[in-house]
Amino acid sequence: MEDFEFLRNVTIGQYFQGDSIVHRIDPRTKITIVMILAVINSFILSFTGNAILLAICTAFVLASGISFKFMLSGLTPALPIIAIFALMQLFFYGDAYSPYGMELVVFWRWGIMSVTNGSIQLVIVTLMRFLEIYFLVSLLTATTTTTDLAYAIESMLEPFQRFRVPAYEISLIGTIALRFVPIFAEQLEIIMKAQASRGADFGGGGMFRFVKRTRQMATLIVPLFVDAFRRAEDLILAMEARCYTGGEGRTKIIRFRMERTDHIIIAATLILAVMMISFRNHFPV
Amino acid sequence: MKGNGRRIVEVNDLHHTYLRGSPLEVTALKGVTMEVYEGEVVGIIGRTGAGKSTVVQHLNGLIRNREPGKVIIDGQDMSDTSLDITTIRQKVGLIFQRPEEQLFERLVGDDIAFGPKKLGMPREERRERVRWAMEMVGLDFDRFKNRFTFSLSGGEMRKTAIAGVLALRPKVLILDESTTGIDPRGRRDLLSRIKGLNREHGITLICVSPNMEEVASMVDRIYVIDDGRTVMNDTTREIFARPEELRRYGLGVPQVSAVASRLAEKGLAMPRTPLTVAEAEEDIWRILSS
Repeated sequence: MEDFEFLRNVTIGQYFQGDSIVHRIDPRTKITIVMILAVINSFILSFTGNAILLAICTAFVLASGISFKFMLSGLTPALPIIAIFALMQLFFYGDAYSPYGMELVVFWRWGIMSVTNGSIQLVIVTLMRFLEIYFLVSLLTATTTTTDLAYAIESMLEPFQRFRVPAYEISLIGTIALRFVPIFAEQLEIIMKAQASRGADFGGGGMFRFVKRTRQMATLIVPLFVDAFRRAEDLILAMEARCYTGGEGRTKIIRFRMERTDHIIIAATLILAVMMISFRNHFPV
Repeated sequence: MKGNGRRIVEVNDLHHTYLRGSPLEVTALKGVTMEVYEGEVVGIIGRTGAGKSTVVQHLNGLIRNREPGKVIIDGQDMSDTSLDITTIRQKVGLIFQRPEEQLFERLVGDDIAFGPKKLGMPREERRERVRWAMEMVGLDFDRFKNRFTFSLSGGEMRKTAIAGVLALRPKVLILDESTTGIDPRGRRDLLSRIKGLNREHGITLICVSPNMEEVASMVDRIYVIDDGRTVMNDTTREIFARPEELRRYGLGVPQVSAVASRLAEKGLAMPRTPLTVAEAEEDIWRILSS
């Protein structure tokens, strides 16, 4: 059945009001933690390590007060792609990958396809790593307003301004991009409804009707682009009309101050990172 | 009552919740009931966020009702999952706010032909449909069919978009605030053409409009929706004779009707609530000459 409610499926970039501890931490702290955890995520390839990391990420989600089920429901549209990747890894990765601390065991082989303990481990660990990153990124945007995020990025890039890094412009571009995600989702919904009202059919159509479905996309992409350019022009005019000149010399009403909790959280995450990365070869599995 | 007495749209105690099961859940409809007979012109009014657009999107299956309530279009229950929704969308044409945003083809004629093409119509018949639809909205077929869509003026783009819906030859045409944002003359022109669709081709019209003057001059009957419920339902004249009640729902009455009710307060009652300036003029002459 066709369903035009896209907003339900766009969880990344959507802010949810709340008053949890995760909402209240300084945005700079949040970005730092997310970056440190992402680094750990890219180093750890074991079950145990990822189980610990996944537990930490889940704890953050629970602490944020955002429904766990809703968080996971954001993954639904990506499920087919995830499934395809998982199957590819399971069948075609076999001999090439042997996890540390394990003898390679072949369970099944047929031509170039094989299933080994290595490929099974890889599939599970990849899914865990994917979930961790997904939780971290959605949580960051779900508990931080875009203005706070922009402020944090700007203030974290400030030291690099000496090297001509345009800190303010970078944070502004990021904010605008994030801000427009839900707007375009909504606009897409309207355009889809309008086209459906005059005979377009977006539902299903079977796997092998690529050409037809691709052509169908033109009925959405063209109006969406026209609208995007119009909105961009409006935004430029609105900025010019308010004599916008950029970040230099601009002051703010709300200034964030790093407090002791922030330092403790960052220090704890750092210690965790050092420990996990240096012990990464010593995990049992 | 105008119309031939055949019920084409029936909505019974309809409920709807957006984004059900998410933290952003909003209940938009809490019991809307309405019915429209073939050949009628019906208006839906209500303040912003009252649920008007949600109701009309149920009428051509853009939103399927899975919640309490019934929507029956031309005898078919919309909650029936085996229902072929494209036939319903062909019967019920819906024109949105700023419909020109849906244009995508390079040439005007191709854009209007999109719907008929989707129906698998042969070339000649398609051409006839496009010609008819363009004529209906007042675009000259030979002059406009090969114009570039995105080089048209705002008003012409809107006419093209409306023609794109008309090319499906719907039995029911719904206008969801489709005349906002065009100049008064273009608006009058468009409205009279749409009225002509009803008079000459018997197309049932459902108009959602924030403009009371427009509603008063167009429709026979009005449904007032407030906070997701049908709160008033009567002929246009009866509805606009109750300005206090309308004000309670954040709405007003056409200026002539307001003047008439002020005159009535001063002891100069008019024989009927005038809906248009022409009607008021006629009544005033009658009073003065008697």
